[in-house]
Amino acid sequence: MSVAALDAVTKRFGQTVALTSATFAVERGEVAALLGANGAGKTTALALLLGLRQPDSGTARLFGLDPRVPAARRNVGVALQEPTFPTTLRVRELLALVRVHYPTPAPDAALLERFGLASLAPRQLGGLSGGERRRVAVALAFAGRPALVVLDEPTAGLDPDARRDVWAAVRAHAGDGGTILLTTHHLDEADALAHRVVLLDRGVVAADDSVAAIKAAAGLTRVRFRAPPGLAVEGAERDGDCLAILTRDAGAALEQLVRRGVPLAELEVRPLTLEDAIAARRLPP
Amino acid sequence: MKVVLAHARAQTLELARYPAYVVPTLLFPAAFFLVFAAPADRAGAAAELATFAGFAALGVAFFQFGVGIAADRASPWEAYLRTLPVAPRARLGARTLAAVPFALAASAAVVAAGLATTEAALPAAGWLELALVLTLGTVPFAMLGIALGFLAPPRAALPIANLFYLGLSYAGGLWQRPSRLPAAVAAVSPYVPTRAFGDVLAAVATGQPFTPAPWARLAAFAGGFALLALWAYRRDEGRSYR
Repeated sequence: MSVAALDAVTKRFGQTVALTSATFAVERGEVAALLGANGAGKTTALALLLGLRQPDSGTARLFGLDPRVPAARRNVGVALQEPTFPTTLRVRELLALVRVHYPTPAPDAALLERFGLASLAPRQLGGLSGGERRRVAVALAFAGRPALVVLDEPTAGLDPDARRDVWAAVRAHAGDGGTILLTTHHLDEADALAHRVVLLDRGVVAADDSVAAIKAAAGLTRVRFRAPPGLAVEGAERDGDCLAILTRDAGAALEQLVRRGVPLAELEVRPLTLEDAIAARRLPP
Repeated sequence: MKVVLAHARAQTLELARYPAYVVPTLLFPAAFFLVFAAPADRAGAAAELATFAGFAALGVAFFQFGVGIAADRASPWEAYLRTLPVAPRARLGARTLAAVPFALAASAAVVAAGLATTEAALPAAGWLELALVLTLGTVPFAMLGIALGFLAPPRAALPIANLFYLGLSYAGGLWQRPSRLPAAVAAVSPYVPTRAFGDVLAAVATGQPFTPAPWARLAAFAGGFALLALWAYRRDEGRSYR
């Protein structure tokens, strides 16, 4: 049984189609990343999986149950995209409220420490910055030590330290056999954390595979060099001062460039990142 | 139960720290009593003391339930709470529990004002009866408040709640005995739900024998408003979480 699954789900909001026959599943113990541009349907997919919305057609399942049934969410911790809380509650009180919903919650002190919230515990939420509230939201998702943690853009607006804390928490949770479903705009984040990537493109599942498989399927190497303005090379994309070529055969590509007399300043040849791999999927074959 | 208490505690703490909620809720009915009821009838103020205590509890029903639910409905915090493994009825139970301390405090403020400025007095057992009547009698209006909370757009909830709150309190005779209402208002007064509430409150404060008729009306209003609240809740579910 999958931990969370959408099966042929279509969801419309008025004239807008948020998801079109979307199918994907998150299996126990994996870190899955939902990727996609703004409006691709990531948040809608999460809302359906958490029972905040109902599919127009198809089914959403959480631990095999209808997500709208509280029992389906017994083992789920969530951080939604907008970290808004009652302004007069204190961080510590909020944690206490969330903890009571779970049988074996994380100890407060350890949780606060892990997300760098120890000094904020006695503060009211209305006095916290956006980044601090995001950290609280993510901490709440882990507070119950649930089997599945769902994080909607957990690092948006975070400083590098806080981002590292979130990454560490995700890895620790996966290391303990937990499951994570997260959304992100940052491909490097998915690359660093996820075993699987589900790429949404305007409501359609455009790719659903392991990070390694997506990279391997692309089978490309990235050749990048400093190029004078105005210089154009077929198949190359301009990236500021540089040109970048995605190629199956870096040697041949370089040879060709040299033969054409292209100056190869600051030459960089490296295997594909997830970001390049997904960009490559959009290129004509 | 642990979960219900935790939600009730969080809600109580949250509201207790909003002076903008606490001060008007607690002091407005008592101030009203001092301005309008106390000077009018110093000797026979027991009935007014009880009906103004009802007016105070009514405010909690309309504002904490009505305006509170309407405001929460639109908030991302509400969406987060819905992802927790807790049933909606447990959260409604918590909302009800959280209303009790505010309703009691607001009513107690009226009683304190009454005892300080008038000759109103109740026998010891009468206070207990008054508390019981206040609790039971507020139920239909809590239901109406819930219905309002799920029906009114968030920005419109406050003025609508005020309209109901002040309109029903006046027409139901909570501010002055129904016999002193202007003829036009007196004509509709028997049909407003607050009239039955005022009648049972005045009866207990003035030591009149128990009569089932106003209680039957209150029960009927409670049933009707409960159905309305349930319908409004389902309607909102169908729209906000479809």
